[in-house]
Amino acid sequence: MGAFFQQVVSGLASGGIYGSLALALVLIHRATGVINFAQGEMATFSTYILWTLTTNHGVSYWPAFAITLALSFLGGVGIHRAVIRPVERSSQIRVVIITIGLLLLLNGLMTWIWTGQVKQVSSPFPGGTVEAAGVVISWQDIGTIVVSVVTVAVLWAVFRFTKVGLALRAAAVNPAEARLVGVRVSWMLGLGWGLAAVLGAIAGSLAAPTLFLDPNMMQAVLIYAFAAAVLGGIDSPVGAVVGGLMLGVGLNLLGTYVDFVGADLRLPAALLVILVVLLVRPAGLFGKPQVKKV
Amino acid sequence: MHAPRPTTINPKLVSAGLAIVASLALGVTAALAGTARESGDPGITDGTVLLGGTAPLTGPSASYAAVAKGAAAYFRYVNARGGVNGRKILYKVADDGGSPAGAAVATRQLVEQDRVFALFNSVGTDTNLAVREELNRAKVPQLFVASGATTWGRDYAQYPYTTGFQPSYRAEGSVYGKYLARSARGATVAVLFQNDDFGKELLGGLKRGLQRSRARVVAAQPYDEAAVDVSAQIARLKASGADTLAIFATPAHTIQAYQAAARLGWKLARVVNSSGGAASTTMSSAAVGQNRLVAGTVSIAFLKDPADPQWKRDAALRLYSSVMAQYAPGADAGDLMHLYGMAAAWTAVEALRQTGRDLSRESLRKTVDAFTAPGDPFLLPGIVVKTAGADHYPIEQMLLRRWQNGAWRSFGGLWSTTGS
Amino acid sequence: MTRATSRTLLGFAALAVVVFALPAFVNDFRAQQFAYVGIYLIALTGLNILTGYTGQISLGHGAFMAIGGYTTAILMNDHGVKDILTIPVAIIVCGIAGLLFGLPAARLSGLYLALATFAIAVSIGAVIKKFDGFTGGGSGINLFGIPTLTASLTPLHILGFELNFNNWLYYLSWSVALLGYVIAWLILRGRTGRAFRAVRDSETAAVSFGVGLSSTKVLAFGISAAYAGAAGALFAIATTYVNPDTFPVALSIFLLVGVVVAGLGSLTGLIAGAIFIQFLPLWAQNVSKSPGAPAVVYGAILILVVLALPGGVSGLIARIARQVRRASVFPKP
Repeated sequence: MGAFFQQVVSGLASGGIYGSLALALVLIHRATGVINFAQGEMATFSTYILWTLTTNHGVSYWPAFAITLALSFLGGVGIHRAVIRPVERSSQIRVVIITIGLLLLLNGLMTWIWTGQVKQVSSPFPGGTVEAAGVVISWQDIGTIVVSVVTVAVLWAVFRFTKVGLALRAAAVNPAEARLVGVRVSWMLGLGWGLAAVLGAIAGSLAAPTLFLDPNMMQAVLIYAFAAAVLGGIDSPVGAVVGGLMLGVGLNLLGTYVDFVGADLRLPAALLVILVVLLVRPAGLFGKPQVKKV
Repeated sequence: MHAPRPTTINPKLVSAGLAIVASLALGVTAALAGTARESGDPGITDGTVLLGGTAPLTGPSASYAAVAKGAAAYFRYVNARGGVNGRKILYKVADDGGSPAGAAVATRQLVEQDRVFALFNSVGTDTNLAVREELNRAKVPQLFVASGATTWGRDYAQYPYTTGFQPSYRAEGSVYGKYLARSARGATVAVLFQNDDFGKELLGGLKRGLQRSRARVVAAQPYDEAAVDVSAQIARLKASGADTLAIFATPAHTIQAYQAAARLGWKLARVVNSSGGAASTTMSSAAVGQNRLVAGTVSIAFLKDPADPQWKRDAALRLYSSVMAQYAPGADAGDLMHLYGMAAAWTAVEALRQTGRDLSRESLRKTVDAFTAPGDPFLLPGIVVKTAGADHYPIEQMLLRRWQNGAWRSFGGLWSTTGS
Repeated sequence: MTRATSRTLLGFAALAVVVFALPAFVNDFRAQQFAYVGIYLIALTGLNILTGYTGQISLGHGAFMAIGGYTTAILMNDHGVKDILTIPVAIIVCGIAGLLFGLPAARLSGLYLALATFAIAVSIGAVIKKFDGFTGGGSGINLFGIPTLTASLTPLHILGFELNFNNWLYYLSWSVALLGYVIAWLILRGRTGRAFRAVRDSETAAVSFGVGLSSTKVLAFGISAAYAGAAGALFAIATTYVNPDTFPVALSIFLLVGVVVAGLGSLTGLIAGAIFIQFLPLWAQNVSKSPGAPAVVYGAILILVVLALPGGVSGLIARIARQVRRASVFPKP
């Protein structure tokens, strides 16, 4: 039984990372209606900023983290203004291709600036572990799970209770009417990209102490984050995090207890399960089904 | 050097209705003309010899391109001192993006367009496998491939133009097995391995080395190269109750394995770690947060590590640093992969030198077929690059080393194995 | 015959002439690179039928190419089937795979479909490795030098001409590509093509015109996958080797990139899309070889092209054609 719970706990920790990147994907989807293939590289880029500040410039962790979030926000808004805004009203697929271009560009840029060598990023959480009933969990893992849950709660509150949150939702759902009531739609969408970049930075900083930093750190995570977002419903922040945690645990249990799946078919098996979920609930577990007039 | 292009085509002919048939014929004649005018092997002139290689200049494994960079720097150093047998070595590296399809295209470009004399030190296992048959059919030497797969030595009879370089993964694994059998009787070993030739051959070698001893493998968990992390596998390995962990993984996953084992509070008596994941930078990263599992790790080495204080005053490593500074400015000389490339380049220069002034693909193959190159200054002292008869594993000797106080320290004498 | 049709036919004829004449002007190795352009053209034609004409985004066409490539490799290596004879089999196998995948996928819309197809691209490698007794696992299957591969060892003699391997690859892949191009044109100008476009433009309207939504989508998936199968088969033959890394996730992504660069919903720009996929990475490498720099160049150019050409290369050609026509209608005094 100890082994079972150990796999669950380890799955929750991985799931927290998937969920926090999925959250960023959801935000972009709500703002621009696309999936952002560059989200993983944006997160990794932010993490490199954090690494540069703490390692090369001797800034201590929390100030460095704050600067990283601020720069990420500006970067996100900048990307939106520079390359997304010109095409966001033409077609989804062109925006998707632009994000693929961004993926390549940012990945190359990171290799160029910081080389491909693995780098170590410090963690804000204490190094030890706690043990309960034969299950060992590290503070790093606890921190990851807690931060991802808290982030989604804050985000939910912002969307629900603040004026900016309302404007953000209005701009995404119905830009024309939002414009009529005085919402500056374009800036709101830029704000969405900025916030997504911030969430990505959080995801990257959470992941880096466990995964270790190299230019491809978040590429594999991005695939899991896609899966998590789809599972939870690509418009639902809560769904993204719950989807991420479910995916993390599900993958570990599949790999451990289904012999044919083992370690090598974990991902395909999980994706198959999600495909089946989609067929039953096409908008994901937490998404609102779109009413289609046919 | 390049296939001459036909310049005498009448454009009117093409625009006429006959164009299809006529130009097809022209295309074929042009193609034939390209090969017919060569005398001797391609890529050799009185003053130069052209080598080619593929490496992942782009894509996720781009950091391995450092191998080619180190080799290129050494060739330039040799050229500045007059080259070899009066010929300067030109070295062209083409990008394979780390994929076999990319390697097939890039290699054909090197052979057919750039007309290289031989392939040298192309990086990777799948990438070299993808072109081996073709190169051997065309009788183009595929020298000192940068991969430890066993097949290079094992299948030599079938592919006589292909030669490996580093110790095979099986040989490395068997050294760990023999070491554990000797020093840790009754050890129970848990193995994390990458689910490809690299990991599987190390595992196979380890089991071979453990034969007829009381130590044994009690659990083995594969992971996929593209996996996000390996903590689930480590949790399962820990559940086996093993007292020894063997990590056969690439750098990022090696670090994760150490960290995951520490996070789970796994009390290990010893760890062995394949040389593929044992660069000093990797080990320092893994040791972060007072990770106690890292100290005392055992791995093998066949290169002098620039990060090892033992070689601080070594003439060869001084040469290495100055060559890097002069011919590869801006590159990180602490990256062992540069040194790997330089060690391989030294061997290639030696092979060319021994072949002599009368150079052909066939004469080079004969040299490498029964080849003894002692004294590669970048390899650990005493290691001899040697092939003879049925044994085509160039490097079969290695040292064991232990990670202590933030650096590798070798211990014991040379371990000699057979590559298979 | 309408004027538009005769103009199209003239275009095909001109294209065929250029294609068959090209090897006379380039060296052997270039011929091989252009063979890959032909192969990508096949895959892009198929993907455009699905994505450009029917409006269903697929990020999984590399997986269908893998299925086609493995079908060819296994038939050639294990069953002694001649390479060109494996191509129709690969087409049929992939067509069926496409239809089977299309059945559930037709229920998904927009980005969910894109991600579901992406899941196929991500998974195929692990699945191939799992069945290694059949597929050779990670080490793959080598095709070079086996008797079923045409022209690899001795040149091919055909109609009194001698073709070496590269030229043979070139003519083979471009013959299939041009055939596929014509077939696509025939499909798209007829009833089926109208149904595809109706589904793309408005599902509601399509239904009211009596177009079966899900059957139309499934059909588009099947046809599109069949094209990918032909491309995959030729890719295996040209590369003379298959393993899971031969068909990476990036291949699926670059196919979609190619089709957008070419221009969705038009066949005119597809060759430009195929050239883009084949040559831009090589060209980016020449700009700078320092690690990472080629990717920066590639990414930046991709973004600029998408920003500058709203309708892709097809849109650009259409715009130029309009201007030329206008100029000829109103000749300068």
